Amino acid sequence: MIITKKRDFKELMENVKNYRNFFLIGCSECATLCGTGGEPELKAMKEALEAEGKSVTGTFVAKTGCQVLGTKVELKPFKEALDKTDCIIVMSCGAGTQTAVDLYEDKAVFASNDSLFLGNMTRLQFFDERCSLCGKCILDKTGGICPITACPKGLLNGPCGGCKDGHCEISPDIKCAWVRIYERMKKLDKLQELCEVTLEAKDWSASQKPRTLVAREEKKK
Amino acid sequence: MSFKEILNSGKFVVTAEVGPPKGTDIKEMLHHMEILKGKVDAVNVTDNQSAVMRICSMAVSKTAIDKGLEPIFQMTCRDRNRIGLQSDLLGASILGIKNVLCMTGDHVSAGDHKGAKPVYDVESVQLLKIVDGLNNGKDMSGNELKGSTGFFQGAVVTPEANPIEPQLIKFEKKVRAGAKFFQTQAIYDIEKFKEFMKHARKFPVKILAGFVVLKSAGMANFLNNNVPGIRVPQVLIDELKAAGKEKALDTGMNITARHIKQLKDEKICDGVHIMAIGMEDKVPLIMERAGLL
Repeated sequence: MIITKKRDFKELMENVKNYRNFFLIGCSECATLCGTGGEPELKAMKEALEAEGKSVTGTFVAKTGCQVLGTKVELKPFKEALDKTDCIIVMSCGAGTQTAVDLYEDKAVFASNDSLFLGNMTRLQFFDERCSLCGKCILDKTGGICPITACPKGLLNGPCGGCKDGHCEISPDIKCAWVRIYERMKKLDKLQELCEVTLEAKDWSASQKPRTLVAREEKKK
Repeated sequence: MSFKEILNSGKFVVTAEVGPPKGTDIKEMLHHMEILKGKVDAVNVTDNQSAVMRICSMAVSKTAIDKGLEPIFQMTCRDRNRIGLQSDLLGASILGIKNVLCMTGDHVSAGDHKGAKPVYDVESVQLLKIVDGLNNGKDMSGNELKGSTGFFQGAVVTPEANPIEPQLIKFEKKVRAGAKFFQTQAIYDIEKFKEFMKHARKFPVKILAGFVVLKSAGMANFLNNNVPGIRVPQVLIDELKAAGKEKALDTGMNITARHIKQLKDEKICDGVHIMAIGMEDKVPLIMERAGLL
């Protein structure tokens, strides 16, 4: 999921100081799990805005806020509340925020969260980055652990000299990705493969931005 | 004779280090070069060491040549992508730089520009392959070069890494990628280093053992606690303590000299790399005590 973190409320207020009437959009997926854009957070935001003398014309938690057409349909019943607002605050990720930008060309849209990374929830609201969305997966070569993400240097052929007692030079809280890969490959009895294969420099063209994908097959006329 | 020729001749080589300063005042650096000139076989020129921004290693390598020293141009993958690295390698080549040491490089979080974007487009093993390619007239994309490079390329290894196995796997990958010589992280335990050498001797590469002079027992403890891959045995810490504050540095120099002499006398490795870290003026004295001058 996309991991988000609430932005400083004062900073947000500074950004929206010239607006009066607000509509809040959350998301039932990642932002709800992150505690940044579910029902309770929308309610708290509404109260905080009202305490600042602002008016909130409506709130809505989208099913999947990054799904543009679905969100558009879901928001139809809120037309009246949206007409009365001059500013939308989106309480999900950067993608969800830009859904609102797409749908409401003439309204100001602000994000209440910073979008951090694609992560796994390991315990309630504990998140770890596992995948960098690099566009060309190498997990099959590294025992299923991604060094591009788990190693701060994204090294592809083993640990650097900064590995100290199995931990990373940038923080003792990070276990060295290559020690993890080594241990896992050992368990899988694949150490020989690890020794023999030198991974080539990565082709970063697969992560050339902005990326688009058409996954459906066009119907033949 | 060039560093490569000396190393291949079987002579026990000595390399030292020149750290480019932060700023354009190079008086002290030139003084260090003067001290090392004619004494050591080559000098490593560090590349924004510890991710602290300084004069680039290429310019200082060229300065070393002009001053009559043979540089080992250290190149990390932290600050340049594959285009920058290859371009700098070609540039270094036309400046007469013959040796290159390929390293990953300390992370930017260790340095003085913590908000910098770390590059690591390629890493040390791949950089060695790049150098091998340029030496054979091809860039990384396989394009023909108009004139190839002739680098003598090396890499680094940490003989006392914990755990050691992943480090040894990477060492072998570096050998296969074309590394001709290795300079090691600082070592303090000769018996343990011998174990590493038993493994390293299976490969056709030259090994230079790394040395950092201990200035005090406190420094030894600091290294043990903070620097990856360094392990100062308690017996050496006790020796420094026993020497007292006044004599600690002298004792540290004696320890280094004693270790270097043992490596040479017992033909354990092919040479040593002395990282003086600000005490370049002491290098000749250490060499003298080790019987190398």
